[in-house]
Amino acid sequence: MNPAASTKLAVTKSWLRTTLEHDRQLYCCLFSRDGRFVFAGCQDGTILRWPLESIEKAAAPRNKSPKTKTPVPRTILEGHTTWVSRLAITADGKRLVSSDLHGNLIAWDLAAKKPAPAWRVNNAHPGRPGDPGWIRAIALTSDGKTLISAGTDAIIRLWSVADGKPAGTLDGHRGDIFSLAVHPDGRSLVSGDIFGTVNQWDLSKRKVVRVLDAAQLHTRKDNFLADVGGVRSLAFDAKGTRLACGGMTDAKSNAFCPGHPAVLLFDWASGKQTRLLRMKKGKADDGPINGLKFLADGTLVGQGERLHAVCSLEFWNPDDGKVLHVIDTPSGYDLDLHPDGQQICTPVWIANGRSGNGRHAKPDEYKAHFGHVRVYQLTEKPAPAPAKT
Amino acid sequence: MTEITHPHACQGLDHDLSRRQALAILGGAAGTGIGGLLDPTIAAEVKRKQKQVLFIWLDGAMSQLETWDPKPGTEFGGPFRAIPTAIPGVRFGELVPATAGIADKLTVIRCMSTKDENHSTGVPRIQRGDPKNRGVTYPFLGSAITKLLGPPDNHLPPYMHIKPGRGGYMWKDAGFLGPRYGALGLGDGKPPIHIRRPESLNQQRVTVRDQLRQQANRRFTTGRLDRFISAYDYSFDMARQLTRRQDLFDPTTLPASDIQRYGRHPLGRHLLQARRLLEAGVQFVKVTSYHWDTHGDNFNMHRVMVPQVDRPFAALINDLETRGLLENTLVVLMSEFGRTPKINSRCGRDHWPEAWSVMLAGSGLKPGLIAGSTTANGAFCQDAEYDIGHLFHTIFRCLGLDAKTTQYVNNGQPLPIAHEEMDVIKEVLA
Repeated sequence: MNPAASTKLAVTKSWLRTTLEHDRQLYCCLFSRDGRFVFAGCQDGTILRWPLESIEKAAAPRNKSPKTKTPVPRTILEGHTTWVSRLAITADGKRLVSSDLHGNLIAWDLAAKKPAPAWRVNNAHPGRPGDPGWIRAIALTSDGKTLISAGTDAIIRLWSVADGKPAGTLDGHRGDIFSLAVHPDGRSLVSGDIFGTVNQWDLSKRKVVRVLDAAQLHTRKDNFLADVGGVRSLAFDAKGTRLACGGMTDAKSNAFCPGHPAVLLFDWASGKQTRLLRMKKGKADDGPINGLKFLADGTLVGQGERLHAVCSLEFWNPDDGKVLHVIDTPSGYDLDLHPDGQQICTPVWIANGRSGNGRHAKPDEYKAHFGHVRVYQLTEKPAPAPAKT
Repeated sequence: MTEITHPHACQGLDHDLSRRQALAILGGAAGTGIGGLLDPTIAAEVKRKQKQVLFIWLDGAMSQLETWDPKPGTEFGGPFRAIPTAIPGVRFGELVPATAGIADKLTVIRCMSTKDENHSTGVPRIQRGDPKNRGVTYPFLGSAITKLLGPPDNHLPPYMHIKPGRGGYMWKDAGFLGPRYGALGLGDGKPPIHIRRPESLNQQRVTVRDQLRQQANRRFTTGRLDRFISAYDYSFDMARQLTRRQDLFDPTTLPASDIQRYGRHPLGRHLLQARRLLEAGVQFVKVTSYHWDTHGDNFNMHRVMVPQVDRPFAALINDLETRGLLENTLVVLMSEFGRTPKINSRCGRDHWPEAWSVMLAGSGLKPGLIAGSTTANGAFCQDAEYDIGHLFHTIFRCLGLDAKTTQYVNNGQPLPIAHEEMDVIKEVLA
């Protein structure tokens, strides 16, 4: 349990609990099931694990180079050779699964002091010459026995969590799959693709049983060289009565890929779209909703891209579609909810020197940007303890 | 050096001689094919001089790190792998397997280092060769080449530009050379509209109309500058000549296997059309593709977009070689700069003129050569750095022109055809 928190969700009083720093850009993040750790997948192929217990002992967060402060002690898991794309953890908390953009899967035993690979599947999504097999999404079935992966080959692949052996495929998309989510009842899987097709799969029959239309999240104009957008994030509410599909609408080009961040809310029983959620007006929209989670009280939190390397963490009341609260953050790519339901983490982009066109730096000063994991507390900040006399 | 009376004529000695030879012969050959009338030696010389250029322009800038100069596993490398090529020890990005397979026919310059990081100024600066400021607007490469080489005797517009969107006559390309040296734009690779005579018009009516047009033109010409008026006539004549070559745009005569090899996407169709134009003898064919400015979602976009270049480009190089055209055709594939090694907040790459790559093939080049290199992380050039002026010198040399001794003369003002403080990139020359 987080000692810093009260027990009542109060998103309007959310505060930045900590920033966990890395000297390379991060791409995905996840809390451990026991809530004691935060994991982050990095563009350098590593997975980082920070113990949350030590946060209070760490120095106050600053947006500066990790070299300038004492970082929170962390464990580095090495095994991937390229960007770590997604992380998932079994319900019993014993096994972490990670995917990458070379189509590889690795399962890590978390019992060890330094987690080591229990198994790995290379080229789990093999791709073709000139069309690399990326894994963009992974999920675990409710019983924790089956890993589900999907990506650029448009095929959903099932794997045994125990040993990584193939356990089947689901073939029903026409293009890249970006997102997966398992329904709370454990029987259905949803998968979202570049065209805005959301397939509902019966996991026992391994068939598409319904298709939800989120085509608003896809744009292809005559002068585009590529399809833009897609269903970038999916989330069910706790009861499984609502499905949220995140992405962006009305992309203006396939170059900058700017669009209007959007969440399409579906009523699960009818399969009908009930709402289109937008971010709070006032700042220019730019990119897709890259992460979505429902909180225990039904509030939906999503992370959408604004102009100038910033994101908004937006909290919506899904009943009326109104924005309850907004937290400005640097650009982020993923979102996870702590098991206590009162914290969220997001991997964000932090500039290392000037970004944008041209170098504007000496060669020895031209370095990769940083990545931080930001952990936000969704409860009122406790009053500081009175000073001892 | 011979003084040429036309105010925009070039002064290259070789070129001057070859033009004199050709013009003298063409005067006697009027309207017939020249091959049978020429002295075999001179015919060979003329043929040798009939160089062609295919200039592929990826507007907005393709990433060198995702294609010709990959740095996987480094801080800026991105998620793509590198793959072997037909040149031992040289690797390209995994998105270009077809081009990697013919790398031994290609010449890559990996150490381009230019000055401009903006599209609005960079595109014309690069396509004009970035000469020193002389107070005139220099021509784009296509206009320069058609001027400097002189028109081939094939009754086709010498400079044709295949581009998305609309076509039309693009006179601004010509800069100070005057509108006559502009490009005939082919929107979506299609011929100009109205290329087909309406069935309701018979040849007699067409002739009458043309006589009327000429009469009106003569009146309009009186008291006006010839350089602009002649451009109207010239473009009209080009269009009329093109009406006789509708076969060049007939999709039904294309083999299905070609369509499959090049692809049905715009770049595939446009590069296949470019091949047809080159086969017909068009001197300078430019193919433009827009929307390469991947500030956002660079990797998802390159994953989809680069194969649209890779496959048709490799098919085209192979086809030009098979047809015996590659020897006299210079192929250039480039953008206005490269993309930043740093990956921005939107998983994009921004503009990077510091160190980027140009792909070349064909006439005058040493095939299977990688010129220059970048640092281990791909951010900066190592050792040699080449500016666009070096590239223009090299392009001209590959076409038989010496930019050190050839000049434009614009209203009596001699102007270098390429940056006079730069020179050819010797290592790439055959």
